[in-house]
Amino acid sequence: MPVMSYINAITLAMKEEMERDEKVFVLGEDVGKKGGVFKATAGLYDQFGENRVIDTPLAESAIAGVGIGAAMYGMKPIAEFQFADFIMPAVNQIISEASRIRYRSNNDWSCPIVFRAPFGGGVHGALYHSQSVEAVFANQPGLKIVIPSTPYDAKGLLKAAVRDPDPVMFFEHKRAYRLIKGEVPEDDYTVEIGKADVKREGEDITVITYGLAVHFALQAAERLAEDGISVHVLDLRTIYPLDKEAIIEAAKKTGKVLLVTEDNKEGSIIGEVAAIIAENCLFDLDAPIQRLAGPDVPAMPYAPTMEKFFMINPDKVEKAMRDLAEF
Amino acid sequence: MAEIYKKETQLKDYSKDVLLDFYRTMVKIRKFDEHLIRLMQEGKVSGFYHSGIGSEGLSAGSIRNVLRDEDYIYYNHRGCNQKIAKGVPLSKIYGDFLGTTEGTTRGLGAGIVHSADPSRGVLGQAGTIGSQLGIGIGTAYASKFKGTDQVTVIYFGDGAASREMLHGSLNWAGLYNLPVIYICENNEYAISCHVSETHAVKEHIADWAYGYGISNCVVDGNDVLLMHEATKEAVERAKRGEGPTFIEAQTFRHRGHFEGDPYDYVDGELLKDWKENKDPIRNFVSRMLLDKIAEKQELKTIDQEVEQEILEAIEKAESAPQPEAGRIYEGLFA
Repeated sequence: MPVMSYINAITLAMKEEMERDEKVFVLGEDVGKKGGVFKATAGLYDQFGENRVIDTPLAESAIAGVGIGAAMYGMKPIAEFQFADFIMPAVNQIISEASRIRYRSNNDWSCPIVFRAPFGGGVHGALYHSQSVEAVFANQPGLKIVIPSTPYDAKGLLKAAVRDPDPVMFFEHKRAYRLIKGEVPEDDYTVEIGKADVKREGEDITVITYGLAVHFALQAAERLAEDGISVHVLDLRTIYPLDKEAIIEAAKKTGKVLLVTEDNKEGSIIGEVAAIIAENCLFDLDAPIQRLAGPDVPAMPYAPTMEKFFMINPDKVEKAMRDLAEF
Repeated sequence: MAEIYKKETQLKDYSKDVLLDFYRTMVKIRKFDEHLIRLMQEGKVSGFYHSGIGSEGLSAGSIRNVLRDEDYIYYNHRGCNQKIAKGVPLSKIYGDFLGTTEGTTRGLGAGIVHSADPSRGVLGQAGTIGSQLGIGIGTAYASKFKGTDQVTVIYFGDGAASREMLHGSLNWAGLYNLPVIYICENNEYAISCHVSETHAVKEHIADWAYGYGISNCVVDGNDVLLMHEATKEAVERAKRGEGPTFIEAQTFRHRGHFEGDPYDYVDGELLKDWKENKDPIRNFVSRMLLDKIAEKQELKTIDQEVEQEILEAIEKAESAPQPEAGRIYEGLFA
């Protein structure tokens, strides 16, 4: 099975979906001739031409709006936002329009669009190139929100997102793009949206997380294993709708739960995960639910001292795991 | 349709001090950028930076000897050209890039710096490109409301001009006759896309202003004196209460969008022409030498002084500490 980087799996998913269905097209800033600033759409312009890989003006609200309108008329757009931070001008289109089209049209219309955006920090991008914005959309039923952690999941989930009959937000951790590599089957497969995945079986404590932090949790779990502590790692993969069944099962399995996100702690998606566990697992818990998250400040600063303080890393996860294991 | 701004400028109409000030400012902007790129190559600064080399005349001409400290600017996101021209101390700007406490943001924002210096009327840029087009209207409205003669200058690129916000902003500026000057730094490319691929205009971006009843022109942004004259007229118009002006300044960037961008979407011959024949500094030097305003040696001395100033600024910025991690919680609320 070929081994490829996270970003190459994303490119491959788009290429395969565009070959499979000519209604699939890509639009965004610099996605065409340049192949995207991160090169996620590299090669697509040459293969599919300017009508299906559109270099748009610098106007995110229009990118979203145009994509939404095309989706309502039967096309299957993949709209790229260059950085998740730049999605803010498009929020009105996504929340007021895309998320509600099926609902408000009495199920007559739908809006099968994928909004892709690189998010996350640790790349010295400072205040406006590092943010996690998923929680903004997680409070808006009507949008599915997918955040893959591995190349395998990235390809399968993106293909599922393209085929989904409703709008999907697809967030890609920009630091994972070239850092994370893994096996990706050459054949056509999808990964079901809304399903979490056990990335490591364990007995003593449970870590529930998503995105790049999954890898930090797995690295930390290896270290704890050397000391005989067995860690169960659940990768959410989809943060809306949450896989409640998998969350409850993972929490009950060990009775000790650590939730990890790179987002700010307050109001993040792991607060909702904690609520699900609190509602369903009270008598199965052996310790208070723990949360490891970014600090509650508006954005990620630039100075390495502060960026390091903000970011999740294997050491922080390891410490939180050990504290919980000892509880 | 927007008129091309034409005026016969004569060096003898300016004092030598003013001319050398333009020169010194342009050199400062360029050398600042070159040294910043060096710091990136040395691994001390992140590559999220958009060099402003090639467009120094636009900022020097539209700020020096025409805007006062109390006039507001919102800078665009290419280079630090406008901040330097407005007089923000170089050590403060380098501090932002190096992430030390010397920076205006004390470690918060660099890469693409979102710094500010209100004492010099530098009110930052905006989080997302072009948001300053809305905020600037508020500043201009405030000075009108308070009855001051302050003007607001909003710098933005041709890329930002494709945002819907520009039209909302022009509508307000025209409607309330606000003392605001739009300076569209048109370097033809929004990252990899040429302006002709992304803007529906008759001929110029400035044509849009006409529809809102706003005075407008297209000026050679690499001619520092022409840029100065066009801006001076706009400032005087604003101060007389005659409202906004839209200036489209034509220029070109010498480097890619970010450091590491191969810049392969631009024709090599075209880029060579801009570098060799339309360089704002080189052309201004030729004019000064031709008109015997200054000797070569005098200009060389200025170059050396600027070089020294920059090295000292970097030294100051680099020797300051990085902020303690706890600084992250400062400034959330009053």
